[in-house]
Amino acid sequence: MKKNIKIITKHWGKINPLRIEEYLKEGGYKALEKFIFQMRPEEAIQEIEASNLCGRGGAGFPTGKKLKMVAERKEKEKYFICNLDESEPGTYKDRMIVKNNPQLLLEGLIISALTVGASKAFIYLNGNYEEEKYILEKALAQAEKEKFLGEKILSSGYNLELKLFFGAGAYICGEETALINSIEGKRGEPRMRPPYPTEKGLWEKPTAVNNAETIANIPWIILEGGKKFATIGAECSPGTKLYILSGAINNPGVFEAPTGITVRQLIKEIGGGIPKGKKFWFAQIGGASGVLAIGKDLDAELTFSKNCLIPLGSGSVLVIDKSVEIYDLLFSWSDFFRRESCGKCLPCREGTFRLNEIIQRFEDGKISQRDKKALGQILWSLENTAFCPFGKFVAKPFQDALEKLDIFKNV
Amino acid sequence: MDYVKIKINGKNYKAKKDETVLDVCRREKIRIPTLCFCKDLLREAVCRLCLVKIENRLVPSCATKIFSGMEIITEDEDIKKSREINLELLWSDHAGKCVKCPKNRRCELQDLAEEYKIENFNFVPRREELSDKEEIKLLKENKLRVVVDEKNPAIKRTTEYCVECRRCINICPVRSYGFNHRAGDVIVGTPYEKTLDCLFCGQCVAHCPTGALTDQNDLEKIEKKLDDLKILAVAIVDLAIFESLRNEFPEIKNSFDLVKILRGIGFEKVFNLKYGNKFYVEKLIGELKRKRQKKILFNGNCIAFERLIKKYYPQFEKNLSQTEIPDELLASIIKKDYANRKKINRQDIFAVSLSPCVAKKSKKYENLDAILTVREIGRIFRNKKNEMDKTERNIKAGFDQLIEAEEICEDIKLEKSGGTKEAVFSKIEIKKYKGVSFCGIKDIKKKLNEISKGDARYDFFEGLICPGGCLNGGGQSRNLKD
Repeated sequence: MKKNIKIITKHWGKINPLRIEEYLKEGGYKALEKFIFQMRPEEAIQEIEASNLCGRGGAGFPTGKKLKMVAERKEKEKYFICNLDESEPGTYKDRMIVKNNPQLLLEGLIISALTVGASKAFIYLNGNYEEEKYILEKALAQAEKEKFLGEKILSSGYNLELKLFFGAGAYICGEETALINSIEGKRGEPRMRPPYPTEKGLWEKPTAVNNAETIANIPWIILEGGKKFATIGAECSPGTKLYILSGAINNPGVFEAPTGITVRQLIKEIGGGIPKGKKFWFAQIGGASGVLAIGKDLDAELTFSKNCLIPLGSGSVLVIDKSVEIYDLLFSWSDFFRRESCGKCLPCREGTFRLNEIIQRFEDGKISQRDKKALGQILWSLENTAFCPFGKFVAKPFQDALEKLDIFKNV
Repeated sequence: MDYVKIKINGKNYKAKKDETVLDVCRREKIRIPTLCFCKDLLREAVCRLCLVKIENRLVPSCATKIFSGMEIITEDEDIKKSREINLELLWSDHAGKCVKCPKNRRCELQDLAEEYKIENFNFVPRREELSDKEEIKLLKENKLRVVVDEKNPAIKRTTEYCVECRRCINICPVRSYGFNHRAGDVIVGTPYEKTLDCLFCGQCVAHCPTGALTDQNDLEKIEKKLDDLKILAVAIVDLAIFESLRNEFPEIKNSFDLVKILRGIGFEKVFNLKYGNKFYVEKLIGELKRKRQKKILFNGNCIAFERLIKKYYPQFEKNLSQTEIPDELLASIIKKDYANRKKINRQDIFAVSLSPCVAKKSKKYENLDAILTVREIGRIFRNKKNEMDKTERNIKAGFDQLIEAEEICEDIKLEKSGGTKEAVFSKIEIKKYKGVSFCGIKDIKKKLNEISKGDARYDFFEGLICPGGCLNGGGQSRNLKD
């Protein structure tokens, strides 16, 4: 396994994000030129399909397949959306992409939008990312000046209008259909599917919604070829991934490493281990809605595959040591989900509310046998009956806490 | 039509291609509980009670289209569990409120809770588990979330009973409602929680499964007047309510039974509205004949339509008919001619119109004292049922006669879509005038926009806001099983 390969973070820290010239000097926008002058859109999609790249937002849907689905639609109007609503607690990889190399993101975005035949693209930016908004606005203006955007890109027949859409900072708007609703000016809540956004998305037109990190991989794939990409990292979901390390760790931050890495490697080799005097308890992989990895899971490979023991999710790793009060953590999850549920479907609206109440009672030491049973029922209902994946996300960490940590042992 | 074969609970069924699982099950009489689902409305699949199992996954039957060879399970342990948990979640902040609720015994949530025997409250703490402080805090938080709107004249709204089914959001012709706030704090409300100022068509009230949306009225005062022996309580019955009244009283078979029930409630006189309708049509014809050429006349018997014009098409306000609604016309006859003839003091008559309409409540009338919807009649009846059983009075059946020859007065059906136009045009020279009639907001708006632009020219325009006319009016009682 080539561990030092850098796809996204290659230029981080070396170039000024506010100056497109520096990115161009480092060979930026070569992929766009290659795509425009040497490739047809179908060929580009073939490359992406060959790369086996899958969505980095958490669900891991094959990107090439999604782009192909939209590209094959016959409608004249199509849209491409870059999902930069990163609101999973403990996840800040996309904002680091913008902060360090916004032009890479734009390049990938322009290529992907053109492959599906979209003439209009959006970047859906989290409402709290003020600084990133400033950087992106600058980057957009510069790219437009260099003719990478707008009408007749690089004097070719391609046109692309790219707009920055500033969200209002809702967790649920990271879900693609809720995001689409939000851009349309509606309440940010998930839509019924089918129809999927690839058939009827933004304003009822075929729409591809891709995570920012996914898009940032595209220029490399176009330049170096999909087959080469497919050899990096785990076989089922190849490539590199941005890992966000936080919690009880010596060296927190965002790091790029191939997929298929284990939690132990992440903590020891990349994160520099756990601070002295602290004892590892468990790690939460993939944000507040992520699974918990205890000692015996540390050597499991992190991939996007559905069958893997520890799914990668958004790629965040929160290391918890034994000094942490479990109530605080449980309450931080439940309180977050209680606030961020959109309230559309019954199990999630009422379930997260009651869940938070029960956790509060747990914290006060007043939990009864009935509460334990109720907690199980609520989690079951959230997992199996909620309208959108949010319900499953909510249930996951609590189920893991019940199962793996046995939090009710002393009650 | 393409048919496909599917399997429900192991049995073979034939189904049309575009149907959903729920459609098939309803037709085949396979019971699936629903709450947010309502015939013809957008299927949002938010209540998660109609879940069925397909390929070992729970999916909402109301929004899942069938495909050939589909195997559906409608009852098993998981499905039962999901329904029970979700119902109990909903029920936990709803319990104990039924007795004071205006929709008690006519509530879809109550029926479901009974059907699934939701008796436990596992999700809420017991009183002994709470300190006084915590209890006060809980109460306060609950009250904080409740929004009550009693200021508007027609529709009473309280989010206390709301189950967030979204029916009102989807049915409202002018999109008055929406979701406010998020998560557990979510409430269905108006923008900035302002008092409702819509068309008051009442479709939201008719479709509300619980007591969140009810008719605005001072029922206590009306009941007092009905009981007052000095006061002659007069009911003006629009027979458009007849079919829907049977949803409130299944025992009613004909208009005799209806009159009997009304007399039982306390109405001394019961008149048929048809005499008022006749007057209304005559006056409307007069207006049509008097109007200047090139000017269009809009009907005035649909108050919601009148409000639509005043609010969204003010350029047409002058074209609205000045004739009072039939109920008011009849009430004025009762309070003037009839009272004179019978030597009754005008103040001692209490005229109530029993109507399929909610919008009529939004206006003040000179002679008409109150408007009651079908739901309210049912409610008064349920309130009074016990005393009525004791005093089985010798009740005279049949409508009272306002004039001697009233029986032969023709029956004009204004409640139907196009009824007014038909009645008016059957009595004038059709060639001279051009009239149209529409019901449902979509068609009305389309046509009004055309007329505004000058693309179409008419002499008479009949608009009824409720889809299907007054027979589907906002004041009607719905069959809860639909």
